[in-house]
Amino acid sequence: MTDDTTNTDGEPQTDGGSGPDGSEADQTVRSDGGTGIVAPDDETPTWRERKERTEGLSRLTYEYFERARSEDESLRRESDYVERDVLAFPTWPHETVRNLALTSFFVGMIIFLSATLPPHIGAPANPNSTPAIILPDWYLYWSFGLLKLGPLNPELAILGGQKLMADRTYGVLANGVIVGAITVVPFINKGSARRPVEQPFWAAVGMFGVTLAFTLSMLSVKNLMPMNVHLLFDLTFLAPPVVGAITYAVLKTMREGYMYDLNRRYYRLRPPK
Amino acid sequence: MSLEKKDEYDHKNWLESKDLTPVEATFLTALIWVDKRLRIVDYLELLESLYYRSNLQMPKSHTEQYDLDNKFWYWYALYTLGFFSTLAYVVAAISGALLGFYYVPAVGSAGPGEASIAYSQIAFIMQDLQFGFMLRSIHRWSAQVMTAAVFLHMLRVYFTGAYKEPRELNWLLGIVLISLTMVFGYSGYLLPWDQLAFWAGQIGVEMSLSIPLIGEWVAQLLFGGFSLSQATLQRMYILHVFLLPFVVTTLIAIHIGIVWVQGIAEPH
Ligand code: HEM
Repeated sequence: MTDDTTNTDGEPQTDGGSGPDGSEADQTVRSDGGTGIVAPDDETPTWRERKERTEGLSRLTYEYFERARSEDESLRRESDYVERDVLAFPTWPHETVRNLALTSFFVGMIIFLSATLPPHIGAPANPNSTPAIILPDWYLYWSFGLLKLGPLNPELAILGGQKLMADRTYGVLANGVIVGAITVVPFINKGSARRPVEQPFWAAVGMFGVTLAFTLSMLSVKNLMPMNVHLLFDLTFLAPPVVGAITYAVLKTMREGYMYDLNRRYYRLRPPK
Repeated sequence: MSLEKKDEYDHKNWLESKDLTPVEATFLTALIWVDKRLRIVDYLELLESLYYRSNLQMPKSHTEQYDLDNKFWYWYALYTLGFFSTLAYVVAAISGALLGFYYVPAVGSAGPGEASIAYSQIAFIMQDLQFGFMLRSIHRWSAQVMTAAVFLHMLRVYFTGAYKEPRELNWLLGIVLISLTMVFGYSGYLLPWDQLAFWAGQIGVEMSLSIPLIGEWVAQLLFGGFSLSQATLQRMYILHVFLLPFVVTTLIAIHIGIVWVQGIAEPH
Protein backbone atom coordinates (compact mmCIF):
# COMPACT_ATOMS: atom_id res chain seq x y z
CA MET A 1 0.00 0.00 0.00
CA THR A 2 1.73 3.08 -1.18
CA ASP A 3 0.50 6.51 -0.45
CA ASP A 4 2.07 8.42 -3.29
CA THR A 5 -1.21 9.74 -4.62
CA THR A 6 -2.43 11.91 -1.76
CA ASN A 7 -5.88 12.92 -2.85
CA THR A 8 -6.20 15.93 -0.62
CA ASP A 9 -9.00 17.35 -2.70
CA GLY A 10 -11.28 14.31 -2.77
CA GLU A 11 -13.13 13.36 0.42
CA PRO A 12 -12.35 9.88 1.68
CA GLN A 13 -15.19 7.51 0.95
CA THR A 14 -16.82 6.27 4.12
CA ASP A 15 -19.06 3.71 2.51
CA GLY A 16 -16.27 1.41 1.42
CA GLY A 17 -16.51 2.73 -2.10
CA SER A 18 -12.84 3.49 -2.46
CA GLY A 19 -9.70 2.05 -1.02
CA PRO A 20 -6.78 3.88 0.57
CA ASP A 21 -5.29 4.47 -2.82
CA GLY A 22 -8.66 5.32 -4.23
CA SER A 23 -8.40 7.09 -7.50
CA GLU A 24 -11.50 8.35 -9.22
CA ALA A 25 -11.65 5.32 -11.46
CA ASP A 26 -11.80 2.97 -8.51
CA GLN A 27 -14.93 4.54 -7.13
CA THR A 28 -17.21 3.56 -9.93
CA VAL A 29 -17.34 -0.21 -9.74
CA ARG A 30 -16.31 -2.58 -7.01
CA SER A 31 -17.21 -6.18 -7.28
CA ASP A 32 -14.98 -7.74 -4.67
CA GLY A 33 -17.32 -7.13 -1.77
CA GLY A 34 -15.24 -4.49 0.01
CA THR A 35 -15.12 -4.52 3.78
CA GLY A 36 -18.59 -5.96 3.90
CA ILE A 37 -19.77 -3.57 6.60
CA VAL A 38 -21.95 -1.40 4.46
CA ALA A 39 -22.89 -2.49 1.00
CA PRO A 40 -22.47 0.38 -1.44
CA ASP A 41 -25.82 1.50 -2.70
CA ASP A 42 -25.48 0.23 -6.23
CA GLU A 43 -24.54 -3.20 -4.98
CA THR A 44 -27.38 -3.75 -2.58
CA PRO A 45 -29.33 -6.60 -4.12
CA THR A 46 -32.92 -5.79 -4.87
CA TRP A 47 -35.65 -7.85 -3.35
CA ARG A 48 -36.03 -9.57 -6.70
CA GLU A 49 -32.39 -10.55 -6.78
CA ARG A 50 -32.50 -11.79 -3.22
CA LYS A 51 -35.61 -13.75 -4.02
CA GLU A 52 -33.98 -15.43 -6.94
CA ARG A 53 -31.01 -16.51 -4.85
CA THR A 54 -33.07 -18.26 -2.18
CA GLU A 55 -35.71 -20.89 -1.81
CA GLY A 56 -38.14 -22.15 0.77
CA LEU A 57 -39.22 -19.88 3.60
CA SER A 58 -36.72 -17.14 2.89
CA ARG A 59 -37.87 -17.04 -0.71
CA LEU A 60 -41.44 -16.62 0.51
CA THR A 61 -40.28 -13.82 2.80
CA TYR A 62 -38.63 -11.95 -0.05
CA GLU A 63 -41.62 -12.46 -2.28
CA TYR A 64 -43.78 -10.90 0.41
CA PHE A 65 -41.33 -8.01 0.90
CA GLU A 66 -41.38 -7.24 -2.77
CA ARG A 67 -45.16 -7.23 -2.75
CA ALA A 68 -45.30 -5.04 0.32
CA ARG A 69 -42.98 -2.50 -1.28
CA SER A 70 -45.12 -2.21 -4.36
CA GLU A 71 -48.23 -1.89 -2.20
CA ASP A 72 -46.57 1.08 -0.50
CA GLU A 73 -45.68 2.53 -3.85
CA SER A 74 -49.17 2.34 -5.27
CA LEU A 75 -50.77 3.69 -2.09
CA ARG A 76 -48.34 6.56 -2.21
CA ARG A 77 -49.25 7.28 -5.81
CA GLU A 78 -52.97 7.25 -5.04
CA SER A 79 -52.60 9.43 -1.97
CA ASP A 80 -54.03 12.92 -2.29
CA TYR A 81 -51.74 14.17 0.39
CA VAL A 82 -50.93 17.83 -0.12
CA GLU A 83 -47.25 18.68 -0.24
CA ARG A 84 -46.19 21.66 1.75
CA ASP A 85 -43.23 23.95 1.48
CA VAL A 86 -42.80 24.11 5.22
CA LEU A 87 -40.61 21.29 6.44
CA ALA A 88 -41.65 21.19 10.09
CA PHE A 89 -41.88 23.21 13.25
CA PRO A 90 -38.35 24.01 14.36
CA THR A 91 -37.35 21.93 17.36
CA TRP A 92 -36.10 25.07 19.05
CA PRO A 93 -37.89 27.09 20.19
CA HIS A 94 -41.36 25.93 19.12
CA GLU A 95 -41.37 22.26 20.06
CA THR A 96 -39.00 22.59 22.98
CA VAL A 97 -40.80 25.45 24.64
CA ARG A 98 -44.17 23.82 24.26
CA ASN A 99 -42.90 20.54 25.68
CA LEU A 100 -41.14 22.24 28.56
CA ALA A 101 -44.30 24.17 29.38
CA LEU A 102 -46.39 21.01 29.43
CA THR A 103 -43.77 19.16 31.46
CA SER A 104 -43.42 21.87 34.10
CA PHE A 105 -47.16 22.15 34.37
CA PHE A 106 -47.60 18.44 35.00
CA VAL A 107 -44.65 18.10 37.37
CA GLY A 108 -45.82 21.22 39.18
CA MET A 109 -49.21 19.62 39.62
CA ILE A 110 -47.66 16.54 41.21
CA ILE A 111 -45.53 18.65 43.54
CA PHE A 112 -48.52 20.78 44.47
CA LEU A 113 -50.52 17.68 45.37
CA SER A 114 -47.61 16.32 47.39
CA ALA A 115 -47.21 19.54 49.31
CA THR A 116 -50.89 19.92 50.16
CA LEU A 117 -51.84 16.31 50.83
CA PRO A 118 -48.82 14.42 52.17
CA PRO A 119 -49.34 10.76 53.11
CA HIS A 120 -49.16 9.51 56.67
CA ILE A 121 -48.22 6.18 58.09
CA GLY A 122 -50.37 3.90 60.25
CA ALA A 123 -49.49 1.71 63.22
CA PRO A 124 -46.74 -0.89 62.70
CA ALA A 125 -47.74 -4.27 61.32
CA ASN A 126 -49.50 -6.49 63.84
CA PRO A 127 -50.57 -9.97 62.75
CA ASN A 128 -52.57 -10.37 65.95
CA SER A 129 -55.00 -7.51 65.46
CA THR A 130 -57.01 -7.32 62.25
CA PRO A 131 -57.94 -3.71 61.53
CA ALA A 132 -61.62 -2.95 60.97
CA ILE A 133 -60.90 -1.59 57.52
CA ILE A 134 -58.42 -3.24 55.16
CA LEU A 135 -57.97 -1.48 51.87
CA PRO A 136 -55.48 -1.47 49.05
CA ASP A 137 -54.78 1.71 47.08
CA TRP A 138 -57.82 3.07 45.26
CA TYR A 139 -56.79 1.72 41.86
CA LEU A 140 -57.12 -1.84 43.11
CA TYR A 141 -60.60 -1.34 44.56
CA TRP A 142 -62.25 -2.80 41.45
CA SER A 143 -60.28 -6.00 41.87
CA PHE A 144 -60.99 -6.00 45.59
CA GLY A 145 -64.69 -5.55 44.82
CA LEU A 146 -64.60 -8.66 42.65
CA LEU A 147 -63.69 -10.65 45.75
CA LYS A 148 -67.06 -9.74 47.22
CA LEU A 149 -69.13 -11.38 44.52
CA GLY A 150 -69.94 -14.38 46.68
CA PRO A 151 -73.71 -13.99 46.22
CA LEU A 152 -73.23 -14.30 42.47
CA ASN A 153 -71.69 -17.74 42.82
CA PRO A 154 -74.89 -19.71 43.25
CA GLU A 155 -75.85 -21.21 39.88
CA LEU A 156 -73.70 -24.17 40.75
CA ALA A 157 -75.29 -24.35 44.18
CA ILE A 158 -78.49 -25.50 42.49
CA LEU A 159 -76.68 -28.60 41.33
CA GLY A 160 -75.45 -30.19 44.49
CA GLY A 161 -76.30 -27.69 47.18
CA GLN A 162 -72.69 -26.66 47.33
CA LYS A 163 -70.61 -24.28 45.34
CA LEU A 164 -68.24 -25.62 42.77
CA MET A 165 -65.51 -23.28 43.89
CA ALA A 166 -64.87 -21.08 46.87
CA ASP A 167 -66.15 -17.52 46.69
CA ARG A 168 -62.59 -16.27 46.75
CA THR A 169 -61.49 -18.45 43.86
CA TYR A 170 -64.54 -17.19 42.00
CA GLY A 171 -63.46 -13.60 42.64
CA VAL A 172 -59.88 -14.22 41.56
CA LEU A 173 -61.08 -15.85 38.34
CA ALA A 174 -63.37 -12.87 37.73
CA ASN A 175 -60.22 -10.74 37.56
CA GLY A 176 -58.97 -12.95 34.78
CA VAL A 177 -62.28 -12.67 32.94
CA ILE A 178 -62.17 -8.87 33.03
CA VAL A 179 -58.56 -8.63 31.86
CA GLY A 180 -59.34 -11.19 29.15
CA ALA A 181 -62.35 -9.19 27.98
CA ILE A 182 -60.25 -6.05 27.64
CA THR A 183 -57.57 -8.00 25.80
CA VAL A 184 -59.80 -9.28 23.03
CA VAL A 185 -61.36 -5.92 22.20
CA PRO A 186 -59.16 -5.15 19.18
CA PHE A 187 -59.80 -8.60 17.76
CA ILE A 188 -63.56 -8.29 17.97
CA ASN A 189 -64.15 -4.66 17.11
CA LYS A 190 -62.63 -4.19 13.68
CA GLY A 191 -63.28 -1.73 10.91
CA SER A 192 -62.34 1.88 10.53
CA ALA A 193 -64.83 3.59 12.86
CA ARG A 194 -63.07 5.72 15.43
CA ARG A 195 -65.34 8.22 17.05
CA PRO A 196 -67.98 7.19 19.57
CA VAL A 197 -70.77 8.51 17.31
CA GLU A 198 -69.57 6.21 14.59
CA GLN A 199 -69.82 3.19 16.84
CA PRO A 200 -72.49 3.80 19.49
CA PHE A 201 -72.50 0.16 20.53
CA TRP A 202 -68.80 0.04 21.39
CA ALA A 203 -68.94 3.38 23.13
CA ALA A 204 -71.82 1.97 25.19
CA VAL A 205 -69.70 -1.09 26.02
CA GLY A 206 -66.95 1.28 27.13
CA MET A 207 -69.27 3.26 29.39
CA PHE A 208 -70.57 -0.03 30.76
CA GLY A 209 -67.00 -1.00 31.65
CA VAL A 210 -66.12 2.32 33.23
CA THR A 211 -69.28 2.29 35.32
CA LEU A 212 -68.69 -1.30 36.36
CA ALA A 213 -65.15 -0.45 37.48
CA PHE A 214 -66.62 2.41 39.50
CA THR A 215 -69.48 0.48 41.09
CA LEU A 216 -67.20 -2.46 41.88
CA SER A 217 -64.90 -0.02 43.65
CA MET A 218 -67.85 1.26 45.66
CA LEU A 219 -68.76 -2.33 46.49
CA SER A 220 -65.26 -3.00 47.76
CA VAL A 221 -65.68 -0.27 50.39
CA LYS A 222 -69.24 -1.30 51.20
CA ASN A 223 -68.73 -1.05 54.93
CA LEU A 224 -67.85 2.61 54.47
CA MET A 225 -70.75 3.45 52.18
CA PRO A 226 -73.69 5.16 53.86
CA MET A 227 -76.13 2.88 52.12
CA ASN A 228 -77.89 -0.45 52.42
CA VAL A 229 -75.42 -3.17 51.46
CA HIS A 230 -77.92 -5.18 49.43
CA LEU A 231 -79.02 -2.11 47.53
CA LEU A 232 -75.37 -1.33 46.84
CA PHE A 233 -74.80 -4.85 45.56
CA ASP A 234 -77.79 -4.65 43.24
CA LEU A 235 -76.78 -1.20 42.01
CA THR A 236 -73.30 -2.53 41.24
CA PHE A 237 -74.74 -4.65 38.49
CA LEU A 238 -77.77 -2.56 37.54
CA ALA A 239 -76.02 0.75 37.04
CA PRO A 240 -73.57 -0.33 34.30
CA PRO A 241 -76.19 -1.62 31.82
CA VAL A 242 -78.33 1.44 32.47
CA VAL A 243 -75.43 3.79 31.78
CA GLY A 244 -74.53 1.74 28.72
CA ALA A 245 -78.08 1.96 27.40
CA ILE A 246 -78.23 5.71 27.94
CA THR A 247 -74.90 6.15 26.14
CA TYR A 248 -76.18 4.11 23.25
CA ALA A 249 -79.39 6.11 22.99
CA VAL A 250 -77.62 9.45 23.19
CA LEU A 251 -75.01 8.55 20.58
CA LYS A 252 -77.56 7.11 18.18
CA THR A 253 -79.49 10.34 18.44
CA MET A 254 -76.42 12.47 17.92
CA ARG A 255 -75.52 10.37 14.93
CA GLU A 256 -78.75 11.27 13.23
CA GLY A 257 -77.84 14.90 13.60
CA TYR A 258 -74.44 14.56 11.99
CA MET A 259 -73.68 15.02 8.37
CA TYR A 260 -71.51 12.25 7.05
CA ASP A 261 -69.05 13.91 4.81
CA LEU A 262 -66.23 12.77 7.01
CA ASN A 263 -63.27 11.30 5.34
CA ARG A 264 -63.20 7.72 6.51
CA ARG A 265 -60.03 6.74 4.86
CA TYR A 266 -57.22 5.85 7.10
CA TYR A 267 -53.66 6.70 6.28
CA ARG A 268 -51.04 4.25 7.33
CA LEU A 269 -48.35 5.82 5.24
CA ARG A 270 -45.93 8.57 5.84
CA PRO A 271 -46.32 11.44 3.46
CA PRO A 272 -44.62 10.91 0.09
CA LYS A 273 -41.26 12.50 -0.51
CA MET B 1 9.20 -0.84 5.74
CA SER B 2 8.61 1.17 8.84
CA LEU B 3 6.81 -0.44 11.71
CA GLU B 4 5.04 2.78 12.44
CA LYS B 5 1.41 2.72 11.42
CA LYS B 6 0.53 4.58 8.28
CA ASP B 7 -2.19 7.15 8.23
CA GLU B 8 -3.94 5.18 5.56
CA TYR B 9 -6.67 7.65 4.76
CA ASP B 10 -4.36 10.61 5.12
CA HIS B 11 -6.59 12.27 7.67
CA LYS B 12 -3.75 14.45 8.81
CA ASN B 13 -3.20 16.19 5.51
CA TRP B 14 -6.89 16.47 5.01
CA LEU B 15 -7.29 18.20 8.38
CA GLU B 16 -4.48 20.60 7.60
CA SER B 17 -5.85 21.42 4.21
CA LYS B 18 -9.17 22.43 5.76
CA ASP B 19 -7.61 25.27 7.77
CA LEU B 20 -9.80 24.75 10.82
CA THR B 21 -10.30 26.76 13.98
CA PRO B 22 -8.96 25.05 17.14
CA VAL B 23 -12.50 24.10 18.19
CA GLU B 24 -13.26 22.55 14.83
CA ALA B 25 -9.93 20.78 14.71
CA THR B 26 -10.42 19.28 18.18
CA PHE B 27 -13.91 18.18 17.33
CA LEU B 28 -12.90 16.56 14.08
CA THR B 29 -9.89 14.84 15.61
CA ALA B 30 -12.05 13.40 18.37
CA LEU B 31 -14.67 12.35 15.86
CA ILE B 32 -12.11 10.62 13.67
CA TRP B 33 -10.51 8.97 16.71
CA VAL B 34 -13.83 7.47 17.80
CA ASP B 35 -14.91 6.65 14.27
CA LYS B 36 -11.74 4.71 13.54
CA ARG B 37 -12.52 2.46 16.49
CA LEU B 38 -16.27 2.20 16.44
CA ARG B 39 -17.17 3.23 12.90
CA ILE B 40 -19.90 5.51 14.20
CA VAL B 41 -20.55 7.12 10.82
CA ASP B 42 -22.81 4.22 10.02
CA TYR B 43 -24.97 4.91 13.03
CA LEU B 44 -24.88 8.66 12.57
CA GLU B 45 -26.07 8.15 9.03
CA LEU B 46 -28.90 5.98 10.27
CA LEU B 47 -29.90 8.56 12.87
CA GLU B 48 -29.75 11.28 10.32
CA SER B 49 -32.05 9.55 7.90
CA LEU B 50 -34.42 8.70 10.76
CA TYR B 51 -34.45 12.36 11.69
CA TYR B 52 -35.22 13.48 8.18
CA ARG B 53 -37.88 10.87 7.71
CA SER B 54 -39.66 11.79 10.91
CA ASN B 55 -39.55 15.49 10.14
CA LEU B 56 -40.26 15.18 6.49
CA GLN B 57 -42.76 17.94 6.16
CA MET B 58 -45.41 19.66 8.12
CA PRO B 59 -48.56 17.62 7.75
CA LYS B 60 -51.94 19.14 7.28
CA SER B 61 -53.55 19.60 10.63
CA HIS B 62 -55.92 16.82 11.59
CA THR B 63 -58.97 18.94 11.10
CA GLU B 64 -57.74 20.01 7.71
CA GLN B 65 -56.83 16.57 6.50
CA TYR B 66 -60.04 14.95 7.60
CA ASP B 67 -62.33 17.87 7.05
CA LEU B 68 -63.60 17.64 10.57
CA ASP B 69 -65.20 21.07 10.84
CA ASN B 70 -64.00 21.41 14.40
CA LYS B 71 -65.99 18.44 15.58
CA PHE B 72 -63.09 16.59 17.12
CA TRP B 73 -60.75 19.16 18.62
CA TYR B 74 -61.95 18.64 22.17
CA TRP B 75 -60.42 15.17 22.19
CA TYR B 76 -56.93 16.40 21.49
CA ALA B 77 -56.02 17.30 25.07
CA LEU B 78 -56.52 13.67 26.00
CA TYR B 79 -53.76 12.64 23.60
CA THR B 80 -51.21 13.88 26.10
CA LEU B 81 -52.23 11.38 28.78
CA GLY B 82 -49.69 8.82 27.59
CA PHE B 83 -46.95 11.40 27.86
CA PHE B 84 -48.27 12.36 31.28
CA SER B 85 -48.02 8.71 32.41
CA THR B 86 -44.42 8.61 31.26
CA LEU B 87 -43.65 11.84 33.05
CA ALA B 88 -45.19 10.69 36.33
CA TYR B 89 -43.21 7.48 35.95
CA VAL B 90 -39.98 9.45 35.62
CA VAL B 91 -40.80 11.58 38.66
CA ALA B 92 -41.59 8.44 40.65
CA ALA B 93 -38.32 6.84 39.52
CA ILE B 94 -36.23 9.81 40.61
CA SER B 95 -37.94 10.30 43.98
CA GLY B 96 -37.92 6.54 44.50
CA ALA B 97 -34.17 6.32 43.89
CA LEU B 98 -33.66 9.02 46.53
CA LEU B 99 -35.94 7.22 49.00
CA GLY B 100 -33.94 4.08 48.30
CA PHE B 101 -30.89 5.69 49.91
CA TYR B 102 -32.62 5.52 53.28
CA TYR B 103 -35.11 2.66 53.19
CA VAL B 104 -34.17 -0.80 54.46
CA PRO B 105 -36.38 -3.81 53.62
CA ALA B 106 -36.03 -5.57 56.96
CA VAL B 107 -38.49 -6.69 59.58
CA GLY B 108 -35.71 -7.28 62.10
CA SER B 109 -36.60 -8.63 65.49
CA ALA B 110 -39.81 -6.63 65.77
CA GLY B 111 -42.65 -8.54 67.43
CA PRO B 112 -46.33 -8.05 66.51
CA GLY B 113 -47.24 -4.39 66.74
CA GLU B 114 -43.65 -3.22 67.16
CA ALA B 115 -41.88 -1.01 64.68
CA SER B 116 -39.82 -3.04 62.24
CA ILE B 117 -36.60 -1.69 60.75
CA ALA B 118 -38.47 -0.87 57.54
CA TYR B 119 -41.14 0.97 59.51
CA SER B 120 -38.64 2.99 61.53
CA GLN B 121 -36.73 3.92 58.39
CA ILE B 122 -39.93 5.36 56.93
CA ALA B 123 -40.51 7.17 60.21
CA PHE B 124 -36.94 8.46 60.02
CA ILE B 125 -37.49 9.69 56.46
CA MET B 126 -40.67 11.46 57.50
CA GLN B 127 -39.48 13.00 60.74
CA ASP B 128 -35.74 13.49 60.71
CA LEU B 129 -34.57 13.57 57.12
CA GLN B 130 -34.33 16.98 55.52
CA PHE B 131 -37.04 17.19 52.87
CA GLY B 132 -37.87 13.55 53.58
CA PHE B 133 -41.55 14.08 54.25
CA MET B 134 -41.91 15.90 50.94
CA LEU B 135 -39.85 13.27 49.17
CA ARG B 136 -42.11 10.47 50.32
CA SER B 137 -45.12 12.58 49.44
CA ILE B 138 -43.84 13.20 45.93
CA HIS B 139 -43.15 9.51 45.43
CA ARG B 140 -46.62 8.58 46.65
CA TRP B 141 -48.39 11.15 44.55
CA SER B 142 -46.45 10.56 41.37
CA ALA B 143 -47.34 6.88 41.65
CA GLN B 144 -51.02 7.69 42.19
CA VAL B 145 -51.01 10.19 39.34
CA MET B 146 -49.27 7.72 37.05
CA THR B 147 -51.87 5.05 37.70
CA ALA B 148 -54.70 7.50 37.16
CA ALA B 149 -53.10 8.82 33.98
CA VAL B 150 -52.53 5.31 32.63
CA PHE B 151 -56.14 4.41 33.28
CA LEU B 152 -57.43 7.56 31.60
CA HIS B 153 -54.97 7.03 28.72
CA MET B 154 -56.47 3.59 28.21
CA LEU B 155 -59.97 5.10 28.14
CA ARG B 156 -58.79 7.65 25.59
CA VAL B 157 -57.40 4.90 23.42
CA TYR B 158 -60.62 2.93 23.78
CA PHE B 159 -63.04 5.74 23.02
CA THR B 160 -61.06 7.05 20.05
CA GLY B 161 -60.84 3.54 18.62
CA ALA B 162 -57.05 3.85 18.51
CA TYR B 163 -56.53 0.18 19.31
CA LYS B 164 -57.68 -1.05 15.91
CA GLU B 165 -55.47 -2.49 13.23
CA PRO B 166 -52.50 -1.99 13.05
CA ARG B 167 -52.28 -1.04 16.72
CA GLU B 168 -53.49 -4.23 18.43
CA LEU B 169 -49.98 -5.04 19.62
CA ASN B 170 -49.73 -1.76 21.47
CA TRP B 171 -53.10 -2.41 23.07
CA LEU B 172 -51.85 -5.78 24.35
CA LEU B 173 -48.61 -4.22 25.50
CA GLY B 174 -50.69 -1.55 27.22
CA ILE B 175 -52.61 -4.15 29.16
CA VAL B 176 -49.34 -5.64 30.35
CA LEU B 177 -48.20 -2.14 31.27
CA ILE B 178 -51.28 -1.19 33.26
CA SER B 179 -51.11 -4.52 35.12
CA LEU B 180 -47.45 -4.02 35.93
CA THR B 181 -48.20 -0.46 37.02
CA MET B 182 -50.67 -1.87 39.53
CA VAL B 183 -48.19 -4.50 40.70
CA PHE B 184 -45.70 -1.66 41.10
CA GLY B 185 -48.17 0.18 43.29
CA TYR B 186 -49.09 -2.91 45.26
CA SER B 187 -45.50 -3.94 46.00
CA GLY B 188 -44.71 -0.38 47.05
CA TYR B 189 -47.76 -0.31 49.31
CA LEU B 190 -46.31 -3.21 51.33
CA LEU B 191 -42.90 -1.65 51.90
CA PRO B 192 -43.69 0.59 54.94
CA TRP B 193 -44.79 -2.59 56.77
CA ASP B 194 -47.49 -0.85 58.74
CA GLN B 195 -50.92 -2.29 59.49
CA LEU B 196 -52.35 -1.43 56.06
CA ALA B 197 -49.34 -2.90 54.31
CA PHE B 198 -49.46 -6.07 56.33
CA TRP B 199 -53.12 -6.75 55.80
CA ALA B 200 -53.03 -5.83 52.14
CA GLY B 201 -50.25 -8.38 51.92
CA GLN B 202 -52.41 -10.88 53.76
CA ILE B 203 -55.17 -10.45 51.20
CA GLY B 204 -52.61 -10.82 48.46
CA VAL B 205 -51.43 -14.15 49.84
CA GLU B 206 -54.99 -15.39 50.18
CA MET B 207 -55.83 -14.30 46.64
CA SER B 208 -52.78 -16.10 45.29
CA LEU B 209 -53.64 -19.20 47.25
CA SER B 210 -57.11 -19.30 45.76
CA ILE B 211 -55.84 -19.38 42.18
CA PRO B 212 -56.74 -22.88 40.95
CA LEU B 213 -53.91 -25.37 40.41
CA ILE B 214 -50.90 -23.05 40.70
CA GLY B 215 -52.04 -21.06 43.75
CA GLU B 216 -49.51 -22.34 46.25
CA TRP B 217 -46.69 -22.02 43.82
CA VAL B 218 -47.62 -18.38 43.09
CA ALA B 219 -47.91 -17.55 46.79
CA GLN B 220 -44.50 -18.99 47.45
CA LEU B 221 -42.92 -17.26 44.50
CA LEU B 222 -44.36 -13.81 45.19
CA PHE B 223 -44.74 -13.77 48.96
CA GLY B 224 -42.06 -16.23 50.03
CA GLY B 225 -44.47 -18.47 51.90
CA PHE B 226 -48.05 -18.79 53.04
CA SER B 227 -47.79 -16.26 55.83
CA LEU B 228 -46.14 -12.87 55.77
CA SER B 229 -42.59 -12.58 56.96
CA GLN B 230 -39.22 -11.04 56.23
CA ALA B 231 -39.20 -13.05 53.00
CA THR B 232 -42.38 -11.27 51.83
CA LEU B 233 -40.96 -7.85 52.49
CA GLN B 234 -37.73 -8.70 50.73
CA ARG B 235 -39.46 -10.10 47.66
CA MET B 236 -41.73 -7.09 47.38
CA TYR B 237 -38.65 -4.88 47.69
CA ILE B 238 -36.78 -6.65 44.91
CA LEU B 239 -39.89 -6.56 42.72
CA HIS B 240 -40.41 -2.89 43.41
CA VAL B 241 -36.88 -1.54 43.05
CA PHE B 242 -35.20 -4.03 40.74
CA LEU B 243 -37.36 -6.24 38.53
CA LEU B 244 -40.27 -3.94 37.76
CA PRO B 245 -38.18 -0.84 36.99
CA PHE B 246 -36.19 -2.72 34.36
CA VAL B 247 -39.17 -4.46 32.83
CA VAL B 248 -41.55 -1.50 32.86
CA THR B 249 -38.97 0.95 31.53
CA THR B 250 -38.19 -1.38 28.66
CA LEU B 251 -41.86 -1.96 27.88
CA ILE B 252 -42.64 1.76 27.95
CA ALA B 253 -39.78 2.35 25.54
CA ILE B 254 -41.10 -0.32 23.19
CA HIS B 255 -44.66 1.02 23.55
CA ILE B 256 -43.66 4.55 22.64
CA GLY B 257 -41.31 3.24 19.96
CA ILE B 258 -44.23 1.50 18.32
CA VAL B 259 -46.29 4.70 18.49
CA TRP B 260 -43.41 6.50 16.80
CA VAL B 261 -43.18 3.93 14.04
CA GLN B 262 -46.91 3.63 13.46
CA GLY B 263 -47.86 7.22 14.03
CA ILE B 264 -50.78 8.39 16.13
CA ALA B 265 -54.12 6.99 15.04
CA GLU B 266 -55.90 9.65 13.07
CA PRO B 267 -59.23 10.63 14.49
CA HIS B 268 -61.83 10.76 11.77
C1 HEM C 1 -47.15 2.70 31.68
C2 HEM C 1 -48.21 2.95 30.99
C3 HEM C 1 -48.29 3.60 29.64
C4 HEM C 1 -47.47 4.56 29.08
C5 HEM C 1 -46.27 5.25 29.71
C6 HEM C 1 -48.00 4.83 27.76
C7 HEM C 1 -47.47 5.78 26.87
C8 HEM C 1 -48.03 6.07 25.64
C9 HEM C 1 -47.72 7.22 24.84
C10 HEM C 1 -46.74 8.34 25.23
C11 HEM C 1 -48.47 7.16 23.70
C12 HEM C 1 -48.53 8.20 22.58
C13 HEM C 1 -49.92 8.78 22.42
C14 HEM C 1 -50.51 9.39 23.64
O1 HEM C 1 -49.78 9.97 24.44
O2 HEM C 1 -51.75 9.26 23.82
C15 HEM C 1 -49.23 5.94 23.76
C16 HEM C 1 -50.10 5.48 22.78
C17 HEM C 1 -50.85 4.31 22.86
N1 HEM C 1 -51.07 3.57 24.00
FE1 HEM C 1 -50.07 3.79 25.75
N2 HEM C 1 -49.10 4.02 27.53
C18 HEM C 1 -49.30 3.26 28.66
C19 HEM C 1 -50.32 2.36 28.87
C20 HEM C 1 -51.23 1.95 27.90
C21 HEM C 1 -52.38 1.13 28.13
C22 HEM C 1 -52.83 0.61 29.50
C23 HEM C 1 -52.98 0.92 26.91
C24 HEM C 1 -54.22 0.12 26.57
C25 HEM C 1 -54.53 -1.02 27.06
C26 HEM C 1 -52.20 1.60 25.92
C27 HEM C 1 -52.43 1.59 24.56
C28 HEM C 1 -51.91 2.51 23.68
C29 HEM C 1 -52.22 2.56 22.26
C30 HEM C 1 -53.12 1.56 21.49
C31 HEM C 1 -51.55 3.68 21.76
C32 HEM C 1 -51.59 4.19 20.32
C33 HEM C 1 -52.69 5.24 20.29
C34 HEM C 1 -52.75 6.06 19.04
O3 HEM C 1 -51.99 5.78 18.10
O4 HEM C 1 -53.56 7.01 19.02
N3 HEM C 1 -51.15 2.25 26.55
N4 HEM C 1 -48.96 5.30 24.95
